[in-house]
Amino acid sequence: MILIQFLNALQFSMTLFLLAVGLTIIFGLMKIVNLAHGSLYMIGAYIGLSIFNYTESFWLALIFSPIFTALIGAFLYTFLFRHIQNADPMKQVLLTFGLIYIGLDSVRLLWGTMSHSISTPSILSNPVLLIDEPYPAYRLFVITVGLLVLFSLYVILEKTKIGAKVRASVDDPETAQLLQINTDKILFYTFALGCGLAGLAGITVAPILGVEPGMDMEVLVLTLIVVVVGGPGSLKGALIGSLLIGFVDSFGKVYIPQLAQIIIYAVMALTLLFKPDGLYKR
Amino acid sequence: MRAVNYNPKLRLQLLLILLSISIIANIFGSYFTRFFIAEITILSIFAISLDFIASRGGMVSLGHAMFLGIGAYSTAILSINYGISPLSSTLSTFIIGAIIGLIIGYFIVFLDGIFFIMVTLALGEMFNAWVFTSDFLGGSDGISGIIRPDFSQIGIDMNNPLTFSFYVILWLLGIYFLLTKITDAPLGRNLDAIRQNSHRISAIGGYTKAYKAIAFSLSAGIASIAGSLYVQLNGFISPELTHWTVSGEGLIMIIVGGIGSISGAILGATVVHIIQHELSNIINWWMLVIGFGFIFIVLFMQDGLWGLLERIQKKLK
Amino acid sequence: MLLSLNNINKSFGAIKVLNNVNIISERKECIGIIGPNGAGKSTLFKVISGNLKQDTGDIFFNNTNITNFNTEKRARLGISQSFQKNSLFPEMTVKESLALALTHKYNVSFNIFNSLVNNKNINTDAINIAKDIGLSDYLETKSDNLAYGLQRQLELGIAIACNPTLLLLDEPTAGMSPLETKEIIKLIKKLSINYSIILVEHDMEVIYELAKRIYVLDRGSLIFEGDQKSVKNSELVQQKYLGI
Repeated sequence: MILIQFLNALQFSMTLFLLAVGLTIIFGLMKIVNLAHGSLYMIGAYIGLSIFNYTESFWLALIFSPIFTALIGAFLYTFLFRHIQNADPMKQVLLTFGLIYIGLDSVRLLWGTMSHSISTPSILSNPVLLIDEPYPAYRLFVITVGLLVLFSLYVILEKTKIGAKVRASVDDPETAQLLQINTDKILFYTFALGCGLAGLAGITVAPILGVEPGMDMEVLVLTLIVVVVGGPGSLKGALIGSLLIGFVDSFGKVYIPQLAQIIIYAVMALTLLFKPDGLYKR
Repeated sequence: MRAVNYNPKLRLQLLLILLSISIIANIFGSYFTRFFIAEITILSIFAISLDFIASRGGMVSLGHAMFLGIGAYSTAILSINYGISPLSSTLSTFIIGAIIGLIIGYFIVFLDGIFFIMVTLALGEMFNAWVFTSDFLGGSDGISGIIRPDFSQIGIDMNNPLTFSFYVILWLLGIYFLLTKITDAPLGRNLDAIRQNSHRISAIGGYTKAYKAIAFSLSAGIASIAGSLYVQLNGFISPELTHWTVSGEGLIMIIVGGIGSISGAILGATVVHIIQHELSNIINWWMLVIGFGFIFIVLFMQDGLWGLLERIQKKLK
Repeated sequence: MLLSLNNINKSFGAIKVLNNVNIISERKECIGIIGPNGAGKSTLFKVISGNLKQDTGDIFFNNTNITNFNTEKRARLGISQSFQKNSLFPEMTVKESLALALTHKYNVSFNIFNSLVNNKNINTDAINIAKDIGLSDYLETKSDNLAYGLQRQLELGIAIACNPTLLLLDEPTAGMSPLETKEIIKLIKKLSINYSIILVEHDMEVIYELAKRIYVLDRGSLIFEGDQKSVKNSELVQQKYLGI
């Protein structure tokens, strides 16, 4: 039983991680908190829905939805964010807030206001037996996707040159700027990647949670809390924060349902009190 | 973060213009017009509460709808469960809101602007989720049966939309007067300076955290009053009042009006509410329009409509 | 003794930036701290002002132990600072900025009833301070619209408006032309009559004109202390700073 809860929590954490890591890297590099990050998650789910409905293949949706979301991110960067790079940070955040409105209505216009669902692919539809307890194979898949992304990011960041540049830009932006590492190209790819990851989170979770307008805000708040608690700009913080919030929320809902709502906010409040820069400083 | 120029004269002129228009529209308008004016007035109170902390302290809150909710639900509970008079309820919600604002403020005012937005957004969502699922507060059905103040002893019928409309206008004027006093006084000036450079205020010995917490608390109390009046206007509450889009609308109102002038917030509330009302009758993608409009104003019209008025005033001189 | 720093040590990671630094400042004294770039001057300045916490060592001001006091608290005790990079209120005029700073001198910052522009005492005081710092002609000019040199003057003005006991000046002549520098030196000379000053500077000539006693910092350690003459004659200092 507890293994099942553990896995549920892990799955939730992995989804949060996919979202938080994108948001935190974008913040670390560009000092922008993209409030429309949740919208990209939602759009990823919807695009995946359309691909699924059209091709009847979940796998195609899984592959192409993040690509499309990344393209949207690239578009947003090129035509909006790049030009306001040096503006007042407040202004930038307010802009992303406007994007939430656009994202929400776009989704409603294109797909309607009803909620939709995507069925899990047939290979993963049968439960897997874990120590005599059946467990949905699809959730294990989501965990795997999360871990794969985690591993890939680790490899890219630690072992490649471009990864080193990204790390330098996040850890020490002033020096990076002096050395001219902090180039437009890096920002472009990182931003698109962050958005793509949000889309990936959306499509992988769609078979479990469904697809509906409004899913953008629910997840945004949790992602923001993860980023605030983990430490904005810190990749390690995104991971630890996702695990912390994911587990606290999942186990909280099971064992103390009345307090489950506020327990996450309590975690955030405690972090702000004792470690205002988050668990892991940039 | 930028705010409009500190110009008490224009501030008063704008208020008087808006006040005159609303009085005339109130007297000669239809039932619906009066209701609409009351609505705009209450939204203006909400907008002013947001404007105050944004321009005095540099705190942009995306969760302020929670205080609308606190004011609304407290009023409902106080008047229905405890039989407290609506007027006393409204006054009580100011205190309740201010206290809760002070407690929350203590935790969050030291946060940098961007994190402040994130945390207030999260807090607002938490409140919204709680309100939606709380049986005590009526859940998604809300609470109905809220009454307006009873001034029949002095011959005033609050159920008459004309009188209630003037009643809320009086509240707006009272709050306007209170906030202009504070804005012009040393505390307000220090808060303005904190928005421009909080580092320096600390360096000259200012109690930065305390000033900001007081401002936030006051703002919370005022937003609660707006919530209280709102439910008395409608007679019922639905938990949608605490949705993030309401906080967002408030933000749009103060940016359209021009952050920092108090009267600008009233103007912004009026313009945005009218546009939104008209738009939603014609098209069902008005959020798209608002989103683009918002982005446009943030990019190109930093001082909002106030800025426009200032330029017109200069040209007329 | 007004201010004393005792055995101050500060490291950033593996780098020792301040090594057993001891500084004393007396009333109505103007002392200078000089050193090349990287000597630790700004770190030392931040430790005195409270913007940075030292690793070990303590600080006493007027017999009060302020070692653990943050900037706000130290400012309220009478330690005021001006910054190397202008730290002004961009949207406020000269008069407004000074009046604002004066709300702290007069302890009325929590007042919510009386309009600041109508406060006679504060406004008169603001006009006087503006006169002292040479900005009488610019009372209604926005800080953002002032020329750089005038901004530096306002920078000082805000610091003295709080009626401090000790003034900390961080490279007051930073970025100034020779003419502007002359003006600032004149101004600081005037100030040193009424205020105790600790001056951190890069420009030796400025220090020679203003400071009675000079501390010389090199790579985190104090290598010399003395008056202008002895600093000029010191071989050690000459060795370290050939050609400053």
